Amino acid sequence: MISTNAYVLLSAILFTIGVVGVLVRRNVIVMFMSVELMLNSANLALIAFSRARAESDGQIITFFVIAVAAAEVAVGLALLVSIFRAKKTTNVDDVNTLKG
Amino acid sequence: MAELIWLVPLLPLLGVVINTLLGLNDLRLSRANAHHDHGHDHGHGHGDAHHGHGDNPTAKRSGLIASVMVGLGFVLTVATLIELLGMPAKTTLGENNRWFDVTYWNWMAFGDLEVPFGFLIDQLSVTMMLLVTGVGTLIHLYAVGYMSHDERPTRFFVYLNLFIVAMLMLVMGNNFVMLFLGWEGVGLCSFLLIGFWFEQRDPPWASVKAFVTNRVGDFGLLMAMFAIWTLARKPDGTFLHSLVFREVLEQGTVFSLQQYSTFFMGTQYTAAGAIAFMLLLGVTGKSAQIPLFVWLPDAMAGPTPVSALIHAATMVTAGVYLMIRTHPIFELSPSVQSTVTFIGVATALIAASIALGQYDIKKVLAFSTVSQLGFMVAAVGMGAYVAAMFHLLTHGIFKALLFLGSGSVIHGFGNEQDMRKMGGLRKKMPATFWTYIVGTMGLIGFPLVSGFWSKDEIIGHAFDHDHRTVGMLLVVGAVLTSFYMGRQISMVFFGEQRDQHIHAHESSRWMTAPLIALAGLTLASGVINLPGEDFHFLTTWLEPIVEEEAAKFHLNIAAIVTILGLASFAAGFYLYNWAAKHKRIKPNQRDLLHHWGGDFYAILEEKWGFDALYNAVLVKPYKALASFFGKFFDVKIIDGIVNGTAELVGLSGRGLRTFQSGYVRSYALMFVIGVVIVLGFFALR
Repeated sequence: MISTNAYVLLSAILFTIGVVGVLVRRNVIVMFMSVELMLNSANLALIAFSRARAESDGQIITFFVIAVAAAEVAVGLALLVSIFRAKKTTNVDDVNTLKG
Repeated sequence: MAELIWLVPLLPLLGVVINTLLGLNDLRLSRANAHHDHGHDHGHGHGDAHHGHGDNPTAKRSGLIASVMVGLGFVLTVATLIELLGMPAKTTLGENNRWFDVTYWNWMAFGDLEVPFGFLIDQLSVTMMLLVTGVGTLIHLYAVGYMSHDERPTRFFVYLNLFIVAMLMLVMGNNFVMLFLGWEGVGLCSFLLIGFWFEQRDPPWASVKAFVTNRVGDFGLLMAMFAIWTLARKPDGTFLHSLVFREVLEQGTVFSLQQYSTFFMGTQYTAAGAIAFMLLLGVTGKSAQIPLFVWLPDAMAGPTPVSALIHAATMVTAGVYLMIRTHPIFELSPSVQSTVTFIGVATALIAASIALGQYDIKKVLAFSTVSQLGFMVAAVGMGAYVAAMFHLLTHGIFKALLFLGSGSVIHGFGNEQDMRKMGGLRKKMPATFWTYIVGTMGLIGFPLVSGFWSKDEIIGHAFDHDHRTVGMLLVVGAVLTSFYMGRQISMVFFGEQRDQHIHAHESSRWMTAPLIALAGLTLASGVINLPGEDFHFLTTWLEPIVEEEAAKFHLNIAAIVTILGLASFAAGFYLYNWAAKHKRIKPNQRDLLHHWGGDFYAILEEKWGFDALYNAVLVKPYKALASFFGKFFDVKIIDGIVNGTAELVGLSGRGLRTFQSGYVRSYALMFVIGVVIVLGFFALR
């Protein structure tokens, strides 16, 4: 049986990869994928804890996270398509009209 | 009549309402007309306020309404007088039966404070009411003629009626608060009336000066009222908490004001003395005494009927009335009484001397009024209340006559007030001239004319009651009065007219008729208090209120004063006649007396420097303070705080703007840094 620590470590690695992805990539779609990665790393940690504690709370929360993530992707992609139509680009650094 | 006495002030108030409504209607109509034909109305509305061309038809209408209202008040007052005379004079000594005190409703009631709205009708207030409504009616009628060319006579009569209402409140009120209501009311109305010709240069300033100076005095009256409210006790020792005259001036209650006292610098001061002193401050404001007399001469900028009403017959007499009404308080404090006498005498002398140096026909009379008020105040200070009241009445009549006469001169002489341009007007204006002579006879105390009796009663009282110095000084004042009146009569009515450009003409009947009526009253009004056992009507009448014995007549004093006065009048008259003959009086040229009197005369011309002194001591520092607060404190500190706050917010906004780059990734980075910090905080805690 793999120890909970290993799962948490993997989850942390995945999360960090996601954060770095969001921070360094300019393509919105890739940033989206990185966000998904972060969400899933959190799910992984939740399930690992759930198993360690032999309780189902973490798994239930995971389902919520998946549902919210799906909704987020639906909204996010719709926004992305609109932005692309208006700007003809998926580069976030070109979309800075809300500058103060 | 007691049931109808409330009509006396209500009728002029009704006049105010009617004339206001009529005036508003006129305004509506003229606006509607102006809409219909443009340009037609252009001729009106411009030009000098009081010598526009042609008669204003509204003057007669609103003037008559106003006059009738005051006239009806006079009739009611006379009826009340007759009713009071019908009451039994007195049952026992010192007890007064001839009065009624009607309370209509409770005006204010908070906690301990209860102020009734009611009238006290007794010998003193009825006498004042007779003067106010009687002379007031004549002045109203005169104003119909005087204001006939004015642009807004309706407004004028509204103010004039309102003034009468306020003055009646002042003399009829049965408590200090009612008196104060009228006191402030006449102040307001004098402000409105003095500044009536507000498009000219001087009147607005004069009205402000009158108002502000009077406020200083009003402060004294208010403090006195508060002190009476908090300190007065009933004979059984409980607090009175009342401002009703009859309760406050009850003997036992007034004495309670003496129980409070304090030692200061070795002298004992009682509450009664302090209250009397604060009342005196109010009196110096309203009755134009030193040090607050400076407003009255400037107030001559108002229309002349106003000068006659305010500055002879009503408002300025309020102070004397107040002192006579509250004389039990003054009598508790001999030192304040001496102060009152001193102020009266000083005012009488200084104002009379200033009158010598004036060229404006009305300003001579204005200073003369101040001076005569000084006589009255001095009389009150000496305890000669009847004499003061007597002089107040006769002076109210003959000074109104003189003011109206000067108004007639001004009106008929192209609105020119400079006596140096006049001369020889007796031929052009006979009615004005003869009535003016009668008024002058009253003022200088020509034998058997009203002023002779009343002024001599004051001077006689001074010699009778060991105020020898006061008596002498008042004689000097009387001599000065005669001199400047001789000077004025000569400059205005005798010799040749010096400014030939002005076409002088006699005034209309509206104006001469009241002059003649007042002249008749001037000749006759001495009878109200002739000396002699059976004649002391006024003394007998007022005796229950002031408890004073009849003044004795001193033939020698009267003879000396009269001879000195007439000699002085003749000196003034012939001196200026001579000067006119030798062409020594020219417009814009200084007076003859300046030639001989030199710098001293220059001081008189400058009114002893009172205005300059107040300017230097009060106005300038006040302006400096105002400019400190306005230019430094407000701009630098207040604006600094307000603008500084805004600046700070703006600055932080500009700083934070740089973070709002619009780059999603930089926001994300901040987010991550935030998370790391928060997590780090919890982890390392």
